[in-house]
Amino acid sequence: MRILGVRFYWNGVLFLLLFAVAVALELYGHVIERGIGHYLKWQNPHRQQLGRVWDKERKSVLAQSKVQTILSSLDLKEQSSESIESFRALFETLHSSLVVSREKFLRLYFDYPGQWSHRIVSPFELMEIDANQSWRRVLLNNSGSAIAVSFIDGSNNPIKEISLPASILFEVQSTRTIKRGRLEEANFKEDLIFPIKEFLPLLRTLDPATQKALFPDPKWFLEKNYHVTRLGVMSESFEANPQTTLFGIEYETDFHTDILLIPVPLEVANNLLSQIEKNDLDNSQGSFKDVYEEPYAEKN
Amino acid sequence: MTRPLVEKLFFAALGIFLLAVFACIGVYLVLSRDLPQLPDTLEKINLSLPTEIYSVDGERVAVLGERRPVPIEDISPDFLKAIIAVEDASFYRHKGVDHLALFRAMFRNLREKRIAQGGSTITQQLSKNLFFSFERNWVRKIKELLIALQMEATFTKQRILEAYCNQVYFGNGAYGVEDASRVYFAKRAKDLTLLQAALLSGLPNSPNNANPFTNYDRAVRRADYALDRMVKAGAITPRQKEDALASSLELADSRGESDPNLYFIDYVVGLLEEDYGKDFVHFGGTKIFTTLDARLQKFAMKAAENHLEDLDKKMREADAHGPLQVALVAIENRNGAVRVLLGGRNYSRSQFNRAVSSNRLPGSSFKPFVYLTAMETLGYSPATVVKDEPITIDIPGSSPWEPQNFEDEFAGDIVLKKALMRSINVVSAKLVQATTPARVIETARQFGITSPLGNHLSLALGTSGVSPLEMAAAYSAIANLGVYNKPYFVQWIEDYNGNRLYEHFYLGIQRFPQKSVYPLLDMMKGVVEGGTGSVVRKMGFEHPAGGKTGTTNDFKDTWFDGFTKDLAVSVWVGYDDNHPMRDTSRHGLTGSAGAAPIWVNFMQKALEGKNKINFPVPAGIKFEKVDPQTGHLAEGGSPEGVEVAVKEETQLRPPP
Repeated sequence: MRILGVRFYWNGVLFLLLFAVAVALELYGHVIERGIGHYLKWQNPHRQQLGRVWDKERKSVLAQSKVQTILSSLDLKEQSSESIESFRALFETLHSSLVVSREKFLRLYFDYPGQWSHRIVSPFELMEIDANQSWRRVLLNNSGSAIAVSFIDGSNNPIKEISLPASILFEVQSTRTIKRGRLEEANFKEDLIFPIKEFLPLLRTLDPATQKALFPDPKWFLEKNYHVTRLGVMSESFEANPQTTLFGIEYETDFHTDILLIPVPLEVANNLLSQIEKNDLDNSQGSFKDVYEEPYAEKN
Repeated sequence: MTRPLVEKLFFAALGIFLLAVFACIGVYLVLSRDLPQLPDTLEKINLSLPTEIYSVDGERVAVLGERRPVPIEDISPDFLKAIIAVEDASFYRHKGVDHLALFRAMFRNLREKRIAQGGSTITQQLSKNLFFSFERNWVRKIKELLIALQMEATFTKQRILEAYCNQVYFGNGAYGVEDASRVYFAKRAKDLTLLQAALLSGLPNSPNNANPFTNYDRAVRRADYALDRMVKAGAITPRQKEDALASSLELADSRGESDPNLYFIDYVVGLLEEDYGKDFVHFGGTKIFTTLDARLQKFAMKAAENHLEDLDKKMREADAHGPLQVALVAIENRNGAVRVLLGGRNYSRSQFNRAVSSNRLPGSSFKPFVYLTAMETLGYSPATVVKDEPITIDIPGSSPWEPQNFEDEFAGDIVLKKALMRSINVVSAKLVQATTPARVIETARQFGITSPLGNHLSLALGTSGVSPLEMAAAYSAIANLGVYNKPYFVQWIEDYNGNRLYEHFYLGIQRFPQKSVYPLLDMMKGVVEGGTGSVVRKMGFEHPAGGKTGTTNDFKDTWFDGFTKDLAVSVWVGYDDNHPMRDTSRHGLTGSAGAAPIWVNFMQKALEGKNKINFPVPAGIKFEKVDPQTGHLAEGGSPEGVEVAVKEETQLRPPP
C-alpha cells in the first residue's frame, strides 16, 4: 500500500509537471491550435464547399453559364439570319422578329430576280436611307396583322419604317422562286420546254411590261455567271392562284442546274403557247433594249 | 495528508483532461459534417466580376458587387498598424485564437448567458465573413474558430491580413480598404494619412454608426480611440497621435447623400433581376447601358429640390407630414427611352420610388384621354359646344353624382378646346357619361396606362391611381401624334468581352390616327398658352409645348404632365401620407403651383441652347378660328375667337 501510495504521489507530481509543461507549450507554442489547424487542413479536401464565399463562386459560375447560354442562342439567331439566301426567304421565315445587317439586306435585295423587292422599298428610298451614313441594320417584325420593316442606325433608332400588310406573305408565296434541278423535275412537260435560242425571239414580240413581268433582268443571270439553257411553261394553273401558271427558266450555275419559277397570268402563257404553235418565231421584231436599259426604274 | 490530495488532484485533472479531449472530439465529429472547405488561395474571394451600369452619356453611374482588392504592399502601413491595434492587438502572436480575449469573452458571455462579447481575432472575423452567417450562437462561433485555426495553419499572416483588409465592410457601400479610401477620402489606400487610417480602422466595428458622412463626431471619436490603441501597442508615439489629431481629415463629398441616379439604377436592377435572375445581374460581370441621361437627372433633382424647399416653407403642416415628395419622369418621344426617373427628393432618406411604385390620383391630367375618346367615338371636335352647368347624374344603386367645378362657377356653353384649357369638370363628366367609362378605359389602355382603372363616371376627373411613368409614356404618345412607344430603360447589355447579350429595338405602334390626335395636341397647347397651365409661359418657357395640370380632391396630389416635340415629362408632388397640401393661409396647392414650376425649371435646363421645334401638322388638318361659346366660325379678326385644329372633313358652322 505504501509503495502504491508513493507511486501515485510521484505519478501525480509527474502528471502535474507534464500538465504545466503542456500549458506552457500551448501558451507559448500554440500546439493545440496548430494541431487542430493542421488536422483540419489535412481533412480540407474531404469537406463540402459550403458558406458565403463558395455560394458567391457558384452564383458567379451560374451567371457565366447564363451569359454563355444567351450568347449561344444569339449566335444561333445570327447564323439563321445569315443563312437566309433570298429576299423571299427573308419574309417567309419571319415568324416574330429578325435583324439583318445592311450589307446582307442589300445583297438579298439586289439578288432578287424581279421587281417584287422594289415594291417593298425602292432603290431610291434605300439611297435616301443611306444618305447620312448611319444605316446599320434592318429590323423586320411580324406582328401577325402587319410586317414592320425598320431601317435602324447603330443605336437601333429607326431611320425609316415601312409597314406592310401581312398579305405580303401570300404575295411573296406566289412570286419568283428558285429550285434545284431540271424543268422536268419540276413537272414541266417535255413538249412545253424550249431551248433559249427558240424562246428569246418570241419574247421580243411581247410588249415591254409583259417582258419585264415574264423575264428577269438579264443582268441577274450574267452577273452571277448563270447560263440560261431552256425555258418552259407549265400546263396547269398555279395552285396558289388559279388565274396564274408558272414560267420556268432553267440555267446552269458553276455546280448545279437550277430553275427560276415565275408566276405568270394564264392569258400571257396561253398567248406564248399559241405563238409557239404558229411557229412564227423567225418573224419577231421586238427588242429587250427598252425594257432593261434602266433596270430599277419604277413603273408604278 | 498530502498524498490523498495529490491523488485526488491527479484523478481530477486526468478526468477533466480526458473529458475535454472527448468533448472536443465529439464536438468536432458533430460539426465536421457542415464545416466548409477552405479555398486554395484567399485571392479567390475577390474573383467575381462586377456589373457596371452606364448612362446614355457614357458615364459609369453604378457598379454592382465591386471589389477593389489590392496587395498588402498597396495598403498604407499606418492603416495596417491601426486595424491590428483596434481589432486584434496580438495578431502576430496568436495562431487564430487570442487566449486572453477568448477567456474574457467566455467569462462575460457565461455571466450574461448570451453572446455579449466576441473576442474574435482578425482571423476569426475573416473566417466569419467568408463562410458564416452573422447570427450569434455557440455552434457558429465554434465553427468559425475551427476554420480560423485552419486558416492560420494554411496561410501566412500577411495573406490573412490582406484578405481581411480587402473584404471587410466599411459602411457606405464600401467593401475593402481600397474602396473605403476612395469613398471617404477620394484617394488610394496606400496614400492614407495617419488620421484617415485611424478613422477607417474604427469603421469595421460600427460601419453605420461611425460613418463620418452621417455621424462625423462619432467617427472622429473612433479615430481618437484607434490612435490611443496604436500608442498603447507602441505602433506610434504620443506625439504622432497629437500631430494626427491636429491634421485635417479631408473627407470626400458624400456620394450616397445626393446621387440622383439611384432611383433609376434601383429600378433597372429590379427589372433585370426579374428578367434574368439575381445571379446574372450581380455576378454576371456585365455592362448595362441604360437610357438614363445623368445630366438631365441632375437637373431634375435640382429643379425639384429648389421648388420643394420653397414650398416646404409655405406649407402649413410640412413638419408633421412632410417633407413634400416628388416624382419626375422624362421620356424621349421618338423612341420611348426613359431619360429621367426621379422617385423622390432624396434617395438616402427614402428609397421608395414614387415614379413607378406609387399610384396616385392624376386628377384633371387624366382628362385628355376623356376628350380624345369623345372626339373619336362621338365625332366631337375641339369646336363642339358642351354646356357647363350644374348637373346631377343618376347612378343606379348609388347616390346621384353632382360633379363640381374647381371654382364653383359654370361657364355655360363652351367649346371643347376652351373647356380643356380651363379644366372644367362638368364638361369632362358629361363626356364620360356620353361615351361610357369603358370606352375611356379602352383609350387609356391604348396610351399604355396599365394600372387598374375604375369603370365609373368619376373616372372623368382622374379618380383612379396611375404612376408618373405611365403618364409620361401616355403624354409622349400624344406628342408623337398617336405613336405609342413602350418606355424602356436598357439600351443594350454586354458581357465582359463586349459581346451584346441584349439590345433594345424600337417598336413604335401607331395607336391612333395622326389627324385624330393632333386636335387634342393643339388643345393641350392651348392649356399652356392660356389655360390652367399658363404658368409655364409666365415662367418664361418659350418652346412649343402642350400639357395638362392635375389637382385632386383636398389638394392631396398635384400634377403637371407636359411635352415638347422631343420630350414628355410627368411631375407629381404630394405628401407620402396623402395629407392635403395647404399653405399657412389654408390655400390649397394646385398643379400649376405645385408641379408645373418643377416641370418648367427642369425643361428650361434640359432644352437650354436647343432650337424651338414646332409639332408637325399632319395631312388632313385645318385651323379655324371659332367663337368659344357657339363654336361658329368667328368673324374675321374677332378678338374673342379661339383657334382650333380640326380634321379637314369637320364642318364648322359659319357665323350666324
